[in-house]
Amino acid sequence: MKDLWRGLLATLPLAPGVVAFGLLYGVMARQVGFSPWEAWAMSLLVHAGSAQFTAIGMWATDGAIPIILTTLVVNLRHLLLGASVAPYLRGLSPLWRALLALWMSDESYALAIAEYERGQGSHLYFLGANAGIYLAWPAGGLAGALLGTAIPDPSQYGLDLVFPLGFLGLLTAFLKDRVGVAVAVAAGGLALVGTSLLPGKWAIIVAGLMGSGVGLLLEEVKPTWKNS
Amino acid sequence: MEKLVIFAGMALVTYFTRYAMIAALGREVDPLLRRWLRYVPPAVLAALVVPAALAPQGNLEIGLRAWAALVGAVIAWRTRSVLWTILGGLATFWLLRMLGA
Repeated sequence: MKDLWRGLLATLPLAPGVVAFGLLYGVMARQVGFSPWEAWAMSLLVHAGSAQFTAIGMWATDGAIPIILTTLVVNLRHLLLGASVAPYLRGLSPLWRALLALWMSDESYALAIAEYERGQGSHLYFLGANAGIYLAWPAGGLAGALLGTAIPDPSQYGLDLVFPLGFLGLLTAFLKDRVGVAVAVAAGGLALVGTSLLPGKWAIIVAGLMGSGVGLLLEEVKPTWKNS
Repeated sequence: MEKLVIFAGMALVTYFTRYAMIAALGREVDPLLRRWLRYVPPAVLAALVVPAALAPQGNLEIGLRAWAALVGAVIAWRTRSVLWTILGGLATFWLLRMLGA
């Protein structure tokens, strides 16, 4: 049970960012004709920030099928996240694995996988991290939808930086040797180039696949870079 | 009511992306795949960080966010703390903003 709390508390530094963008989502949902309860329901059911912003943007012009398909595409990166955390969940029951997948977000995944890498991870920590983000996101959305108009764009205050800064802190867990550093540099560079060339979240998927491939390659070509 | 149907569809496809690989890789996997998967987290995390810092609008831009992330990277390297990295990076952003950079 201690791990559940640790996971929950670990989300606190990220929570202000989640709530701030939740508020913005709530305001925008109202603007396309959602009731506060509908805005809340979408966050509770879908729990995917980027996909929800995209869906709101499409709401007035597109139908159900394009919105659902776009949601699928925007969230495809979760296949990669799921694959990398799967080995740590192997001993768990199918029910536990299904539950941990339910509220997995970029943020809670990052917290959990870094903790696994440090040898201190557990399914309870993962669940706690999932729960923390899952509490914050719909709460922000409902509040934004109820308050309505007067909420400024959180990016004006740099709050969009909360997530990449948090990921930077967690990335350090994986930079134990030269291979890890090379993977991060390669993936970061690929993502930077990919962002200007590819739509949506494709740059993250491509950089995630190719950057990790670089790690595997270097293990073979430069064995001394491992654990040095 | 129609909205709820769309929400349910969105929830379903989102859940698929989250659960599919956790289910598919639930058994013992090939050692080579296992080794590859070990490098996915640093690759994904770096891919989430670098464009957000250096190309927040989609094109390369060495602005406030780049400097904030640079300070954040130093703090992350020295402290490994998520909290201090976020606070230090945001403080840098706000300070530079106040100075009119």
